[in-house]
Amino acid sequence: MSTSAPMLKVDGLVKRFGGVVALDGISFEIEEGSVHAILGPNGCGKTTLFNLIDGSLKTTAGRVEFDGHRIDGLSSSKIVRMGIARKFQVPGVFNDLTVAQNLEVALAGEDGRFGFLGLLLARPERVRRDRLAEVAGLTEKLEYAVAELSHGEKQRLEIAMLLTRNVRLLLLDEPTAGMSVTETEAIAELVCVLRDEHGLTVLVVEHDLLFVKTLGAPILVANDGKIIASGDYDAISQDPRVVQSYLGAAANA
Amino acid sequence: MKSKRRGLYATVAAWVALGILGLLFDGWLLSQMAIYFCYGMFAMGLSLIWGQAGILSFGQAIFFGAGAYGFALVTLNKIPGLGVSVAMGFVVAIVLATALAAVIASLTFAARGLSGAHFAIVTLCAAVVVETATTRSDYLGGYNGLFGIPPLSWNGTMIGDHALYYLMLSITLLAFLSVVAIIRSPYGTLLEAIRDNEHRVRHLGYVPHHLKSAAFILAGALSGLAGALFAAQFGFVSPSLLGFALSTQVLVWVAVGGRAVPMAAMLGALVVPGAENMLSNVLGDVWLLVIGVLFVAVVVAARGGVFGNLLRLPLPQRLRE
Repeated sequence: MSTSAPMLKVDGLVKRFGGVVALDGISFEIEEGSVHAILGPNGCGKTTLFNLIDGSLKTTAGRVEFDGHRIDGLSSSKIVRMGIARKFQVPGVFNDLTVAQNLEVALAGEDGRFGFLGLLLARPERVRRDRLAEVAGLTEKLEYAVAELSHGEKQRLEIAMLLTRNVRLLLLDEPTAGMSVTETEAIAELVCVLRDEHGLTVLVVEHDLLFVKTLGAPILVANDGKIIASGDYDAISQDPRVVQSYLGAAANA
Repeated sequence: MKSKRRGLYATVAAWVALGILGLLFDGWLLSQMAIYFCYGMFAMGLSLIWGQAGILSFGQAIFFGAGAYGFALVTLNKIPGLGVSVAMGFVVAIVLATALAAVIASLTFAARGLSGAHFAIVTLCAAVVVETATTRSDYLGGYNGLFGIPPLSWNGTMIGDHALYYLMLSITLLAFLSVVAIIRSPYGTLLEAIRDNEHRVRHLGYVPHHLKSAAFILAGALSGLAGALFAAQFGFVSPSLLGFALSTQVLVWVAVGGRAVPMAAMLGALVVPGAENMLSNVLGDVWLLVIGVLFVAVVVAARGGVFGNLLRLPLPQRLRE
């Protein structure tokens, strides 16, 4: 609960894949307890940014700090244990398992029981499980195989699976991809609940304007591996650079 | 609810039936059946890693054979300073198999991040290497193996057929209960999750290769115990116990029985070699065709195996509503 350091600080982050520059010196800071959205067209480096923050990829240059601690270079599992949880673009749920088993996987390692013996003896609390099932809206479907769930239900289940006791920063990668308008609004609402009731810091990457607008959070606009504008929805939608590079026809319509 | 308990009733019924079988037979046939329980334990180890965690290994006989050779070396007094006791034989068998499993796990999962087909190929090669090395070792008896392993005895008298059958049945039951306890714990759920999506498991804070290694080592230990019990009953060990052929056979037994359900895998390892024993005299080489067709049929049409769906236990209470 440090008040001096931002929850997440990204400083001059560069990622090159051979000759291709995916991220070209991105810097931003996110305060604890806030929701931010990164908006950008496909291919602008949004997912790469998440891959660098959560340790899936190594940075080419620059640094990432989480609550004052440098985390670039650490392994994914270490970074997760520090309290950064990520929702993937394609729902990262276990399709062969039931909803209850999915939640057990999410909760079994809580309190640091990530090893063989700890897991063998762990008995996850039912109350916690039921609480997360409620967040996912799946209380009635605990025994369903996840493969039988709708796309929207899988997305919500995955978000619920990230809400372990030690999580502090949520990275949501296009959480509304492939969702209906109603489902999208429900996810925006859920994100606000996570901030207000669970005290989480949330960083969302999206290319869906509607969702970002509904979210009502500060927006960073990315293009060609750089942040080109920031501000609230009204401000960025007026910004000529954003209109030109991203909104284009949508803003003129 | 009733249909969910069917697997439990069927499992209990299968154990009771195995108990009754011991009363119906005697002599050579019964001792043959007692030996098959070794295969049953061996198969449950494979079920733990393959059925539960999705780790396909073509080298499980390495651990079965290591157990058998370890037991033989001690009881034939070929390891100076350890004595010839049967208890020490079992200790050495299990330690050797466990250590070999740990070495293979650390060279594959941990060091190279191997999985899937790559892992299968590496274990296949390992089995061939170990078998070949054993045939060239005079200390291990070369091609001929090691003879004259003393049979299990109690207070100086050899254990009779019936007593041996029920001893083996009890040990197998204990192994079964242990494997079931493991796969029904949250650790078991994690193994299933790794089988489904290892990447996601890593991004929930776990280290999948640690958890896979633990399962692989447990399976190795169980295979080592099974191998030692095999050697004690069979009386001699040969390089084929360590090799590629037995490794493949156990895969077929487990696939036919039902790899995701330990009891089904175990029954596969009793029924398939049992049928082979009876039918190969009658059918000759046609038997190989029969088992081949059965294997293909199971892989294509009934992925749960012949007994898998029948013997699948209901999910633990904590995973219900």
